[in-house]
Amino acid sequence: MSDQSSNPLASVMDGLKSWARINSPWVIHYNSGSCNGCDIEILATLTPRYDLERLGVKLQGSPRHADILICTGPVTRQSKERLKRIYEQMPSPKFVVAVGSCGTASGAFRGCYNICESIGDVIPVDVYVPGCAPRPEAIIYGVAQLLEMIKSGAPSAEMRKAEEPAAVEG
Amino acid sequence: MSLSLHPLIVLLFFPGGLFLLGSGMFYEWIDRKLVARYQNRLGPRWFQPLADVVKLLAKEEIIPQGVHPGLFIILPVIALASALTAALYTPLLGLQPYYSFQGDLIVTLYLLSVMTLSLGLAGANSINRFSLVGATRTITQLFSYEAPFMLALLGPAIAAGTWRIAGINEFAGQSLWMILTQPIGFIVALIGLMGKLELPPFDAPEAETEIVAGALTEYSGRGFALFRIGKNVELVVGLTLVSAFYLGGLMNPLEFVLKTLGLLLVMAGLQSLFARLRIDQTVGLWWRMGTLVALLQLLAIVIGRALPGLF
Repeated sequence: MSDQSSNPLASVMDGLKSWARINSPWVIHYNSGSCNGCDIEILATLTPRYDLERLGVKLQGSPRHADILICTGPVTRQSKERLKRIYEQMPSPKFVVAVGSCGTASGAFRGCYNICESIGDVIPVDVYVPGCAPRPEAIIYGVAQLLEMIKSGAPSAEMRKAEEPAAVEG
Repeated sequence: MSLSLHPLIVLLFFPGGLFLLGSGMFYEWIDRKLVARYQNRLGPRWFQPLADVVKLLAKEEIIPQGVHPGLFIILPVIALASALTAALYTPLLGLQPYYSFQGDLIVTLYLLSVMTLSLGLAGANSINRFSLVGATRTITQLFSYEAPFMLALLGPAIAAGTWRIAGINEFAGQSLWMILTQPIGFIVALIGLMGKLELPPFDAPEAETEIVAGALTEYSGRGFALFRIGKNVELVVGLTLVSAFYLGGLMNPLEFVLKTLGLLLVMAGLQSLFARLRIDQTVGLWWRMGTLVALLQLLAIVIGRALPGLF
């Protein structure tokens, strides 16, 4: 980062990369145990009414092709390992958007014996979209916030996590 | 029209290299935009394919466990290279192809198949079950559409009496449009092209609702980007071939743009009109219908050419 100013070519390349990332966010959708309410809203977001393809958003089936993991639900203990695995299968740079009250702070399921509090406890989350369930406009706003963050060059949750000392597994 | 260019320019800018990459992305955008408009959406912005490719190139490439790393890295390069090479023999922009010899039609068709073959190998190289199913379907589809597509392109070749693409292009420009004289061949060629490019309704090899992303499930970053560009180049080459043969030849850039875009309009319409066929339905359609009909067409042309000599 420090030698950016000294090398004009590198700064141009960085600009190009971040322009491409902002204009082509491919998403993958994972339900880690939510009631399906948020998932219906996410699918509604991708329908022709809101048409996210005009902003370059494409739903991908494979984690290897995706940039943004849109995740719902309070992460049941059953799906914790799957969620981690899907996140680790994505190539960096990768970003996570947690959708719904459950993903943010376990919502209606708070205190249940079979959940891990929130998505943020399992994988690094960049943007939380609260609501039960959030409207498609709110989800689009959340993704737009994430794109603003990429544009400003702020470190993503993935990068911040990498800088932290390794935590002991609970 | 013909141009004489330095070989390096031919390789790097026109008709190879930059021109093909640019036009490939442009045609992909037109295709996606048209499908979006048919579905009553706004569709992507004009720079969308470029942003996708740059982003993929800038991403991390994960080489998964269980693959042969050398093959994993080299297959996308082979796919793109064969698609780019195929373009050297086609009348891009309505200009004379830079390289032309007797039989280059067959070479071009095989180079286009190498792209699909490396796609299948890329899937079979992986231990991912979705990749394997995708690879099986890709190769199955290759065997089903290849024969009718070839027969459909042989029709104009036999009518023109030459195996040079440039010669057939010239012949098509001087005679009646072959879409009128050989309508069955045109339909088979158009649908064969859609099968080649794995566009809906022939997208069973990459059916994302069943097998995630087919053969390319494990590819990320650079490899995926190269396969995408290769497919775009194949789209341009395929459109050029079919419109040169069946839509009265490509003699100048304006004709090239109008005819290929007209063909793309029809193809995008067919894409949004039909739902995906199962792989066994695809094979059945090609072998029971496509091949037989194309053979009949070919027989009619051969008889039509032989008859005047008999009497």
